Amino acid sequence: MAIDTDKIVHAVMHGSRIREEKGIIPLFGVYLSMISVQYYNGISFGFEKATGNDGFAENLLVEAGQECGYATFQGVRSSWEWEEVVKPMIEDIEDQIHCFVSIAIAFGWGDLTVQELVPGKKLVIRATDLYEAKGYLDVYGKADSGKCYMVRGVTGALMDLVYGDDYPEGCFQYTAVETSCVAKGDPYCEFIAQRTTS
Amino acid sequence: MTIDWPEKFARKGHELFLSGLPIALHCHHYNMNLQKTLETSLGSEGVLLLYTAAEESSHAGFTSFLEHHPKIVTAKSKLELASTSYQYCGLGIINFTKIGPEGGIVTSPHSHHVTGWLAKFGKRQNVGCFFTGGWVAGVLAAIYNKHIGYFSVDELECKMSLSKECVFEVKIA
Ligand SMILES: [Zn+2]
Ligand SMILES: [Zn+2]
Repeated sequence: MAIDTDKIVHAVMHGSRIREEKGIIPLFGVYLSMISVQYYNGISFGFEKATGNDGFAENLLVEAGQECGYATFQGVRSSWEWEEVVKPMIEDIEDQIHCFVSIAIAFGWGDLTVQELVPGKKLVIRATDLYEAKGYLDVYGKADSGKCYMVRGVTGALMDLVYGDDYPEGCFQYTAVETSCVAKGDPYCEFIAQRTTS
Repeated sequence: MTIDWPEKFARKGHELFLSGLPIALHCHHYNMNLQKTLETSLGSEGVLLLYTAAEESSHAGFTSFLEHHPKIVTAKSKLELASTSYQYCGLGIINFTKIGPEGGIVTSPHSHHVTGWLAKFGKRQNVGCFFTGGWVAGVLAAIYNKHIGYFSVDELECKMSLSKECVFEVKIA
């Protein structure tokens, strides 16, 4: 059975309209918020500028993306929404990655596509329209390195979840790099996750 | 006047918009992790960064929101709209009944940041709603036609450190 992306997007859109009386959105086992991308870019790139662009902020921001992608999608695949909407579409373990990517798109993270997946070894994700790249270009102009820290971390997390040790031991067993980025003037952003080598 | 929220919340292809400005859904893991990373790495400078980013984005967001709703003219209805948008975005409940153009008190009995922080990291020793403080400053500046930085917002009590609710004092900076 093929993965019905629309069905997943619909579940997210429908679920994200549910508000409990406290104004909190509990969905897929996490609490969701809708915040302007300007906020996220403001703190990420403000943090990077404040620490002198020496890679310190970059590493922490990628780590934050990876840890959170790991926890979020673990919450997602343990939720009843996943059980009901997504699980019936999954035939093999690789399908999970495609479902996670559909959810990431539904969250407004960008036009992510799985370019290549070598089970256990390598995941390549591409996107042309990510808010981090766009936000960086708008405020600071052309970058000399990739700027999509959140999606880069998430790419590693997807491999951790599917091919790493059982949760919560598998985080950071894969590492992603951003090999091209719209913020640098490239036509698309590309992320490659492979086994972490220490 | 009632606002049709689902209509304001639009999906164009892979992008999400609220009244014309791009937004993203993120979960408490990411939001709290970012806050902790900035606080741990930069201390008070990190706190200021969180506050300022929230202030700038809520000012831009709410200004755009009001432009899309030209029939909302009184400060009272704008404040009401602000608190329903806060709730709609899953940020929590915010109470503007003791606020005027000179400032005042804002309270929040529930919020994404408090629920998320307590779930992820547990109780804090100090106040921690820097996002909400900045968000309030930006929205009030938009409502009263002021520039960013016109209001300063201090959190006096915080549910993250187990107060009954979060209490913010708003002053002219
Ligand atoms: Zn990029
Ligand atoms: Zn608080």
